[in-house]
Amino acid sequence: MLETLQLAWRVTMRHWDVYRQNLIANMSPTISDPVFIILALGIGLGAYVSDMDGRTYLMYLAPGLAISTALWTAFFETSYGFFIRHTYEHVYEAMLTTPIGPHEIILGEFIWVALKGAGMSLVVTLVLLIFQVGAWPLAWVLPFVAAMVAISCGAIGFISSSFVRNINQFQTVYAFLINPLFFFSGIFFPLDQTPIAIRSICYISPLFHGVRIGQAALWNEDLVATLLHHGPLLVGLTAILVPAAWLRIHPKLYR
Amino acid sequence: MEGTANTSAGESVIECQGLTKVFGNIEAVSGTDFSLRRGECFGLLGPNGAGKSTVIRIIYGATPRTGGSLRVLGYDPAIDARAIKKHLGVVTQNNALDEDMALRDNMLMYARCVGIARRDRAGRVDELLDSLSLAHRATARIRQLSGGMQRRVVFVRALLRRPRLLILDEPTTGLDPAVRLHLWERVRALKADGSSILLTTHYMDEAERLCDRIVIMDRGRIRAEGSPRALIERHCPGTIAVFPPDPGLRRRVAQVADATPEFTWFEDRAGVNVRGPDLRSVEEFLFKRGLVPLMLRPSNLEDVFLEITGRELGDDA
Repeated sequence: MLETLQLAWRVTMRHWDVYRQNLIANMSPTISDPVFIILALGIGLGAYVSDMDGRTYLMYLAPGLAISTALWTAFFETSYGFFIRHTYEHVYEAMLTTPIGPHEIILGEFIWVALKGAGMSLVVTLVLLIFQVGAWPLAWVLPFVAAMVAISCGAIGFISSSFVRNINQFQTVYAFLINPLFFFSGIFFPLDQTPIAIRSICYISPLFHGVRIGQAALWNEDLVATLLHHGPLLVGLTAILVPAAWLRIHPKLYR
Repeated sequence: MEGTANTSAGESVIECQGLTKVFGNIEAVSGTDFSLRRGECFGLLGPNGAGKSTVIRIIYGATPRTGGSLRVLGYDPAIDARAIKKHLGVVTQNNALDEDMALRDNMLMYARCVGIARRDRAGRVDELLDSLSLAHRATARIRQLSGGMQRRVVFVRALLRRPRLLILDEPTTGLDPAVRLHLWERVRALKADGSSILLTTHYMDEAERLCDRIVIMDRGRIRAEGSPRALIERHCPGTIAVFPPDPGLRRRVAQVADATPEFTWFEDRAGVNVRGPDLRSVEEFLFKRGLVPLMLRPSNLEDVFLEITGRELGDDA
């Protein structure tokens, strides 16, 4: 078990080694997207939205977007990233000649995605806090929630990787699965006023539960109650998605 | 420590019996038997799509087998792939290097993957870069290296852990003659050091020069097995006279060769060929009849290969 973890960690470290070759370029979109959406919508649109449950629109947007970086980074890694490493770069072919096996590759990918999701949301959260958007005391919760969101969204990416026949088909997944997930997870507007059908679908979105916890933390209100409500749901969804992803992707690496 | 693999001197490094692999409804490997003895260089030859790469992937546990029994360094790869891979080096068919990374950094990363202790990594990598004449490009990015250099880098990666079993999957495809000679020299040196080697190649001269024994696979089955010399002796011994592709010449060659039992003729894309028992008899036979070939050459492993797998392009070629 310890050796499995050790071997998986080497996969994670490989990704970090490659990633840091172009660190600034690689980090730019993940950081700039949420920051500029927050600024444009928060300050621009925010001028017309006076009250979001007692807070500014800028404040409303901030935690959800910090958490959503985990969705984008995780899904990208396990869809396009995985596909390219597997099909074009033959990275896993080389790794499988070392003591690393297919299970360690998958575990290493999940660790990478979790750390990357956490790291990205940490940076965005820090930017927000520096500009005094959000409260400091409980902000440390966000990277942990982001890691969990990244693992579950990474699992969704793996599942889609197991179905696509070529790299272009990921566009469909982005268009009709990831985009709605992003827009209907309570980041831009509270879901309380949406029809019950939409609200029910949101309950099976790991991002939605992550966003709710993130909001409670960054707004510094009702964190315990929110954690008790949304925490088990986020963990539960992750516990379903990860084994499903494992079962789907393992035969791609070991066939 | 990880200890040594469970084989002792004289035992087989790879022992495979009735190995089969089915993908969907395609049987890629159908009942393959062979063994690789310790210290031997063993060639696995066959046309594209013969099942060679599948056999190799099964050997190091990257692909599950469908049937048959297999022991590699005393372990079953379906159960103990990790134990096997601690003593294994593979020159993969695809380079599979990280193109944006510097050569040395890339090898340090793989040194970590194969489990070399942190303090020993740099020393081992530098030693290998030096011995494969790559030290002067250590800081270059992989994509800046020539094809021959990249292939040598893959050798470095395969040798990081001083493998007891080295698998070379088309190691010299696409390389110029000087690089090939350099790599052959390396392979011979490794063999002299006691490594066992499994080689696949499409270059018959490479197999003839490097391998102690070979098997020729075609459509998932083994068609022939033996030392290169023995295979040539068994399947097409003698000397071959090569004529240009010319219909008139072809008729005359066919006529005279068909009339004499110890001579055979065949046609390929390069021209018309007559094979006889030895140089002197072929010369005599042809010159007496006024037939002057382009050249006379001893038969070689390529003749055996084409004899066994056919001269026509297969479905998967």
